[in-house]
Amino acid sequence: MLYRKELKYKTRIVIKIGTASLSFPNGRLNFQRIERLVRVLSSIHNMGKDVILVSSGAIAAGAGRLGLKSKPADLASKQALAALGQAELIKIYQKFFEEYNQTVAQILLTRDVMTIPIRNKNARNTLRTLLDMNIIPIINENDTIATEEIEFGDNDTLSAYVATLIEADLLIMLSDIDGLYSADPKTDNTAEIIHSVHYIDEKIEELAKGASTNFSTGGMITKISAAKLCMKDNIDTIITNGASPEIIYDILDGEKVGTHFVSQKVKNLYTHE
Amino acid sequence: MGNFYENIVVKIEYTAISNTNGHIDLRKMERLAMILSNLHNSGKHILLVSSGAIALGTNRLKVSSPPQELIEKQALSAIGQAELIKIYQNCFESYNQIVAQVLLTKDVMENQLRMINAKNTFMKLMEMNIIPVINENDTVSTDDIELNDNYPLTRNVAYLSGATMIIIKSDIDSEYDLLLKGETKTHHIFDEEKLLEKVEELMNSYKENESGSFFPESIKEIELSKYN
Repeated sequence: MLYRKELKYKTRIVIKIGTASLSFPNGRLNFQRIERLVRVLSSIHNMGKDVILVSSGAIAAGAGRLGLKSKPADLASKQALAALGQAELIKIYQKFFEEYNQTVAQILLTRDVMTIPIRNKNARNTLRTLLDMNIIPIINENDTIATEEIEFGDNDTLSAYVATLIEADLLIMLSDIDGLYSADPKTDNTAEIIHSVHYIDEKIEELAKGASTNFSTGGMITKISAAKLCMKDNIDTIITNGASPEIIYDILDGEKVGTHFVSQKVKNLYTHE
Repeated sequence: MGNFYENIVVKIEYTAISNTNGHIDLRKMERLAMILSNLHNSGKHILLVSSGAIALGTNRLKVSSPPQELIEKQALSAIGQAELIKIYQNCFESYNQIVAQVLLTKDVMENQLRMINAKNTFMKLMEMNIIPVINENDTVSTDDIELNDNYPLTRNVAYLSGATMIIIKSDIDSEYDLLLKGETKTHHIFDEEKLLEKVEELMNSYKENESGSFFPESIKEIELSKYN
């Protein structure tokens, strides 16, 4: 558990929260959950850490605003809902963060931020400047013009891109699953959470295929590839359940929660012992 | 969705919604929301292009001088856009009008798929009776932002939404410039009370003598005359 102890020294943390963790099973926003998340983030920011939030939930917020009973199926409706829902979502975040005197900023990105060098540079510079200004950036995909249905797969991939873009040292992915299991917990009683992963090999990827989440568009597969992307860049990743946002404190305290994807940099620290 | 001829793009400059000291003028924003909600109620579809994100970000952080560096502008814009859309939401809320936020980059017109997506989003929002509030996505913009004060953006929005008319409100004296599709001449209206009346009149005249010329070109000329 040595590697877990290192987590408290992480200074630049990307927290990714999925729709399933921000909403009720009926799809409406869970304000209390959001408020608790905001309190935790403000608190770890106060500890002196740089905090970057990657938040889904725009479509859920839009559907809630219009009182829709179910999520629309067609792309145009989803994009329209995202356009009004993103405005709602950022307003809610502003309101809660305001309670803790924390200024936030909104960043909407498309996938080409990783492929077009000038965009990449602009986004990195903006994020760095915001962190220098002690602001918590809240990032989402710019759904209105996204060329694929959901380019980043419920923001899993986006969060990894953001983490590498701003040279974060930890990515925490909060969703409705507790972590990576040794088998499908829904069908196998012996299934256990794998608490630490040092290499993502075929065996790990095979395990990810069996897991599924009900409400979010990203499953375990996109989370694993996000973790893989981060590991390559010496960024640790934790995949855990976001039902209780205070779990972020436990993670930073080095407790054994969720699945920890240990980066090479951390491993190197202990190779001389 | 409504009639093709009934889509109106309204472009608002920050000076039209701010005080002379550079701070946001909530009374002006409130009045703008009222006028636009009213136009919307009269059966028009409204698309609002609004500047002001950088100014609001600057005010939010109580930075004394306007930012010079691009990086600073982009960061302040990320803060201010969230503030701007919140104020619009609150102002439109009084008139039971829902707004949406659409942030576009210039390449939306160069990428076929993006263009179709943006167009579909606008069509869908209008169909849902929602007013899109549009601005440039400054964070990733590759050009010096707000240099053109959203004129090219306005033109793109008009093109994508098939708008017939652009209303440009650019100063603090309740003065409006109206520009019809296919025309290069702007109509000045000094009295906002008369705005709805004038919009009706121009819309009707447009329907009778549709010139058929292409909208974006005519806007280009207006742009040039503004900057030359």
